[in-house]
Amino acid sequence: MYSDEIETFLKSKGIKTGDRIRVEYSGVTIEGDLMPKTEAGRHDTIIVKLKSGYNVGIAFGNARITKMNGQAVEPGSSPKSKVKQDAKLPKISLIYTGGTIGNKIDYRTGGVYPLLKPEELLHEIPELSKIANITVKSPFSMASEDLSYAEWQKIAHEVASEINSGARGVVVTIGTDTMHYVSAALSFMLQDLNAPVVLTGAQRSSDRGSSDAFMNLICAAQLAAKSDIAEVGICMHRSSSDKECQFMRGTKVRKMHSSRRDAFRPINDSAIAFVTSDGKIDYNGHYKKIGKGKTTVKAGFENNVALIKVHPNSTPGIIDFYVDMGYKGIILEGTGLGHTPVGPSNKKGSWIPQIGGAIKKGVVIGMTTQTLYGRVNANVYTNLRKVSELGVVYCEDMLPETAYVKLGWLLGNYDAKKAKELLNRNIVGEINERIGYDEFLV
Amino acid sequence: MSDEEYYKSIGFMCGLELHQRLATSRKLFCDCPTNIIDANGKENGMVSRYQRAIAGELGTVDISAGFEEQRRRRFVYKIPEGRSCLVEIDEEPPHDMNTDALHTVLSFAKAMNMNLVDEIQPMRKAVVDGSDPSAFQRTSMVAFDGFIEVNGQKVEIPSIFLEEESCRAESTKEQEITYEVDMLGVPLVEIDTWPYIRTPKEAKDIALYIGTMMRISGKVQRGIGSVRQDVNVSIKGGARVEMKGLQDIEFVDRYIENEVKRQQELLKIRDELKKRKASVGKVADLTKILKGTKARVVVNQLENKGIVVGFRLESFKGMLGREVLPNRRLGTEISDYAKSAGVKGIIHSDEDLYTYGFTEKEINSITKELKLGKDDSFIMIAGSKENAEKAAQFSIDRANYALIGVPLETRGVINDENYTTRFLRPLPGGSRMYPETDAKPINVTKEMIKAAEIEAPKIESEEAVLTKQLKDKSLAKRMMLSPKLQTYRMIVDSVDEPVFVANILLQRFTELRRAGFDVDSIGDERLIEMFDFYSKKKITKQAVEEILKYLSKKDQTIAAIVKEARLERISGAPLKKLVEEAKKKTKDKGQVIKEIMSTHRLNVDGSELNSLL
Repeated sequence: MYSDEIETFLKSKGIKTGDRIRVEYSGVTIEGDLMPKTEAGRHDTIIVKLKSGYNVGIAFGNARITKMNGQAVEPGSSPKSKVKQDAKLPKISLIYTGGTIGNKIDYRTGGVYPLLKPEELLHEIPELSKIANITVKSPFSMASEDLSYAEWQKIAHEVASEINSGARGVVVTIGTDTMHYVSAALSFMLQDLNAPVVLTGAQRSSDRGSSDAFMNLICAAQLAAKSDIAEVGICMHRSSSDKECQFMRGTKVRKMHSSRRDAFRPINDSAIAFVTSDGKIDYNGHYKKIGKGKTTVKAGFENNVALIKVHPNSTPGIIDFYVDMGYKGIILEGTGLGHTPVGPSNKKGSWIPQIGGAIKKGVVIGMTTQTLYGRVNANVYTNLRKVSELGVVYCEDMLPETAYVKLGWLLGNYDAKKAKELLNRNIVGEINERIGYDEFLV
Repeated sequence: MSDEEYYKSIGFMCGLELHQRLATSRKLFCDCPTNIIDANGKENGMVSRYQRAIAGELGTVDISAGFEEQRRRRFVYKIPEGRSCLVEIDEEPPHDMNTDALHTVLSFAKAMNMNLVDEIQPMRKAVVDGSDPSAFQRTSMVAFDGFIEVNGQKVEIPSIFLEEESCRAESTKEQEITYEVDMLGVPLVEIDTWPYIRTPKEAKDIALYIGTMMRISGKVQRGIGSVRQDVNVSIKGGARVEMKGLQDIEFVDRYIENEVKRQQELLKIRDELKKRKASVGKVADLTKILKGTKARVVVNQLENKGIVVGFRLESFKGMLGREVLPNRRLGTEISDYAKSAGVKGIIHSDEDLYTYGFTEKEINSITKELKLGKDDSFIMIAGSKENAEKAAQFSIDRANYALIGVPLETRGVINDENYTTRFLRPLPGGSRMYPETDAKPINVTKEMIKAAEIEAPKIESEEAVLTKQLKDKSLAKRMMLSPKLQTYRMIVDSVDEPVFVANILLQRFTELRRAGFDVDSIGDERLIEMFDFYSKKKITKQAVEEILKYLSKKDQTIAAIVKEARLERISGAPLKKLVEEAKKKTKDKGQVIKEIMSTHRLNVDGSELNSLL
């Protein structure tokens, strides 16, 4: 956005973004198209796109700006040739919800806009229409950091409705930052799931030639169209190379890097399958197969659940805070096997009284580990026993985020007693009784 | 007719884009080091990627980007240990722009009387040949509309850019290019001229001038590959052709002269083809006809389930063999297009097909299939179905262009002695720039402008300083233009004999180079060390040259060489002793010198010896 002063000036001269303008300043003249101003940078410059394609910022105060005749550029639209869909191919649905994967820059506003229409998407990635007959749905378009349980519920209903109306698989594109929360939520919300539900996204936006979006989407479509997996999972790059993607169980996967293509890794689990762009699916682990029956949705969610990280010097008052706020559940991310401070030199630092008090008030408290890898254990040390004896549920090898989503879902659909009982009982693969030797740092 | 008149008469247009790596300590958008690659460096690993052509700002895919995408090549990036991080391999957003690099470019802009922009806008320039893992190069226009004076002529400098160096291609296979990532992201300055350069010689002089201006700043990298020229050339009726990556300024004019000739030849070919009403036919599958052939060029492909396709070139007879550059014919030009689709090359009828192993029967069948008349030529291509068909299409497009004239191309240097180039890809159009939204725009402050003015490298004052030191205008000029200028400066900081140092770095180096010694491989540190030995009177002038011979073969410490070759200077008392011993044999001064020098030429300083007599 330009400053008010510049906006007023441009308006008075009838100059719009995209118009050809002449700028004279300190003895030189340049000509080019007026470009929009992004949030970054100085507020007193105007941005001009020169014929060479370069943008330059010129201080408004020193410049004489005039509008030139000639056609304004029409930035922003991508070519929309018709892409033929093949009705003989497997029918799949693609639910687009925003995120980096579909971002394109709008050169007029400088903002980012999503690819929404199936034509656009299929045009960008012509391979897709050779894999499946694709229906594109877009219930909303949001950045993943803004998604809440309300959007998870929307997606769950959308997925079930697509499956029940004939889609043999569903691809959900979503922002990657909170994708593993969404995959966990969908895993619990979709009951009697009877189709592959493949979440995918991109770490590099699709407006760059190197984007991982293309391969991720193609592999996701291959899984939705061909695999017999009836689970929710995430399909992203297996390595930094454009070689293959891996499909990871929705409750046992986590974003482990802020920017790499291969950021998503299975934790305490193996990938369910590896898949290549040309449709080779290599099944790697156990999974639930497609059967018969209708997929239903149990989408209740209790939002008053907290996820708390225990750390040195942390004070247990945070528990009281949440209890006073009316929270019904708390997942602790403990240290190591599932510790909180219980006997620090400062006696007030022990978490025992507060945890005990909260449980007495009916709050369900679960323990996970901030090591992410491995299982919590309530018995190895005396200090652990002190915590578990209070009634804290030790959540086995469940990821903290998965445990958080699970507890919210349990409390949204069951009473506290039942929720507590189910918290560390495996429902959709979120708990593995065995952790393989080769399931670490992969 | 003078050169200038001649080139004017043919409508010669020529512009330069000079690229020079900057000697900053870290890369432009990340914190990796920029020093020249260590050939023995370890690798962290490799990644392989594919890239796509993306519609630009105006919604269209650039022609060169589209061309590259059609080739669907796999790009492998070798990741050197300690010299690249996640930013280079497109796994992390860019860090802030390196301000040292920016300050240097601003000072160059000031040296060329340019207008600085107020706010620098980093852009992405699409590159789809894989030389950048992100599929774009980050580039920013820093200043525009300046001028320099070369040979008394005003030369306008329309723009200067700060951008990232790309990857070095290490090897190219049919459908795969392997790149080294180490140099990727090193700051690179690009300086352009308008296309109004009047002669090839003038192009060379301008390149030399700008190169010198940058070098005297002391802020640019030296050595192979650190400086490159892209040269744009066209003539009346021809087309703009960009010759990319000329590294040696010495030969810029030769390449330009050859390109002019190439365009002239292509226009002659066009005129001839037009006169003959020539045309290009459609692709036909010749696989069946050539089943069981013994022709080696085809056999392998057919055995690997490949195909052979061909097309007629009506009234082209003899034209494919016409030379357009030394050792390169129209057929070679078409072949380069075919090769870019991943085939080995083309077979055409202006060649002797029998030497390939084709039989008369096969040639007759092809003639029949392609309906060839006696004035027609044809082209055949063997390869996998996908590659062969693509290659045929590229070749047909190029052959059709022979009827139009000179295609717009980016061409690369062939490293032979002929100063020739070959087709790389179509010349990029305008739709390849878009804003780099991951990098912040940069405000050019008053302080930055002031610093740039102070630091602007000034050729005239540099020349004056050198003339004063060397007391010889022509030696000073040679020193200033020499790539060794920076080395010279470092040495004369501590060795107070500028003329001796300059003579070694210029004259002696040239002589030794000619005698086959690789003196350019000697590092600055060694040279400084050697001159330090000299200034501390540990070695003589004569020993210096001897040491250079050692260093050009093997890098070792000066102390070690001195010891190994017995180059210690004999001075003071030991020298006096030698003199006295010699005097016992003869009273003649000249004979004494002769006596001593015959065995101690490298160890005794002549003037010291003289002073003792």
